Amino acid sequence: MRSVLKKSGELALLVVVFLAVVGPMASLVIWSVAQKWYWPNLLPQEISFDYWRQALGLQTSMAIGAVSIVSAFLLSLGIALATVVASMAISIPAGYALAKYKIPFGTAIMFLFLLPNAFPQQPVFVNILRIFTKAGLAGTIPGVMLIHILVGLVFGVWITSATFRAIPPSLEEAARSVGASAFVAFYRIALPLAAPGLLSSAVFVFLTSLDEFTGTFFVGLPFVNTLPLTLYSSSGYNLQFASVIALILLVPSVVFMLLIQKVLKAEYVGGMG
Amino acid sequence: MGAVSSAALPRRGELRLPPYLPLLFPAVAFMLAMYGWPFLSSFYQSFSVAAREGALGLDNYAKAWELYRKDIAFTFAATILNTFLAGVVAVLFSVYFRLRQNRVSAILAALFKLPIFIPFVVVSQMMTSFLAPHGLLNIALAQLGLVDLERPLQLFNFAGLSFGFAWKQVPFAVLIIHGGFQMIDNSYIEAARSSGAGMLKVILRVLVPMNKSSIVAALVLVYSSIVGTFTLPYMIIGGKTPTTITVDIAHRVNYFRDFGVANALGVCSYVMVIFTAAYYLKSRIREARQEAAR
Repeated sequence: MRSVLKKSGELALLVVVFLAVVGPMASLVIWSVAQKWYWPNLLPQEISFDYWRQALGLQTSMAIGAVSIVSAFLLSLGIALATVVASMAISIPAGYALAKYKIPFGTAIMFLFLLPNAFPQQPVFVNILRIFTKAGLAGTIPGVMLIHILVGLVFGVWITSATFRAIPPSLEEAARSVGASAFVAFYRIALPLAAPGLLSSAVFVFLTSLDEFTGTFFVGLPFVNTLPLTLYSSSGYNLQFASVIALILLVPSVVFMLLIQKVLKAEYVGGMG
Repeated sequence: MGAVSSAALPRRGELRLPPYLPLLFPAVAFMLAMYGWPFLSSFYQSFSVAAREGALGLDNYAKAWELYRKDIAFTFAATILNTFLAGVVAVLFSVYFRLRQNRVSAILAALFKLPIFIPFVVVSQMMTSFLAPHGLLNIALAQLGLVDLERPLQLFNFAGLSFGFAWKQVPFAVLIIHGGFQMIDNSYIEAARSSGAGMLKVILRVLVPMNKSSIVAALVLVYSSIVGTFTLPYMIIGGKTPTTITVDIAHRVNYFRDFGVANALGVCSYVMVIFTAAYYLKSRIREARQEAAR
């Protein structure tokens, strides 16, 4: 009797959690294909992929509020790729130095890279907007890229330094002892061994850039419309398009994060978006 | 990559920089310019007086208090309550995942992975369509006869915000707390059980105390994340009152270009996380030192 109670309680829990977790996601999916949905029906009367086709630019639409997200997608993709290259170019050497050398003021440097996770970032973005407005960088793509590099760099440095720290120093020392220069030892020994960790870090930086909203909202608007900002601006009056964009952002985040989650500290994944 | 090669070839004579200097310089310089400076200037700007160039005073704080004290209280209350709720629910689920390993708990654990990886902007859009007066939740509850659609649940407020935060943060907290529970050996639980302790006692006297550090770590991360989140309250509550500080900051900047009051509110949000920030910084630096010593 007790075990029956336990089993049914467990199943009830499963149903409730399933509905609570999947319900909001289902809402997105349904809205993205809802052609005709008369209130108060639970499901749409007519389903079509018109909004997907219009949003992806496969079909032009005269409907009010129709947006092509192709340009926003290409912009976001371009910014994300440039951000990955720049962030990794800066954070690989820094991560390597933090992992392999005893550095005076090391604690102060670590402190600097921890602060953005310890305090709310929005006031910082606000002041970057103020500074960028004077410098003529507000509302420009380079300005937005600088913001994304900042967000990516913090994670990049921590993940790369943890990756390099996991490689035994004896391997590089052995290469040095048979005459390899420091650079050759790094390039031929440490870099290949660190490749999986560095790749995960690059993927993570890519996703943070693709999904970045708050910093872009302050610095990029109204001229730089990345995918998350297009989602936001169509959210008020066009639920169908907003849902399509949300799903387009959701899929790569979930797929790639599931692939790289083992390499990441739990706390990093919580700070996204 | 220029920094790497120049660091690797310092053999030419007198100019012998330590090799880590050129490696670290770009990252540290970027962080100082793009983070350190704006971070410090949020304090300075919060004391600036709009009427007199260069003068310092408490005008911005007075105005922030006058206009937004309800929102400051709202933010603090929402943060405390949601952190507490997320903590309790996450501990319960983590205990369940630790003690029961069957197909149901495996499906639940897999379900819990999803929200963690979904960015806040997508979560916010989900919640705006799901929780709307004409949204899926209200319609579904009406089909069950629980809600009268003439008077649907109004959820674009504290309640909806809390649901959104819980949706994203409970799975995240479970990830951290469950990780801690997995470190506890079965023998402790068995020993407590064989000496006659009930399940509740095992949870309260054995599991939770032994896993205190990861529970605190999860609470700290959830707390500071909620204080700083802009997207979710902005899309769910927006300009209605009461709302969160982050939304007020955006309004101050976008509509009035009033960086003084915006920064005063920003400093308020720093003050709200002062204890969690101190804890986070201390534990992370201790952790990094231990790793380095190894």
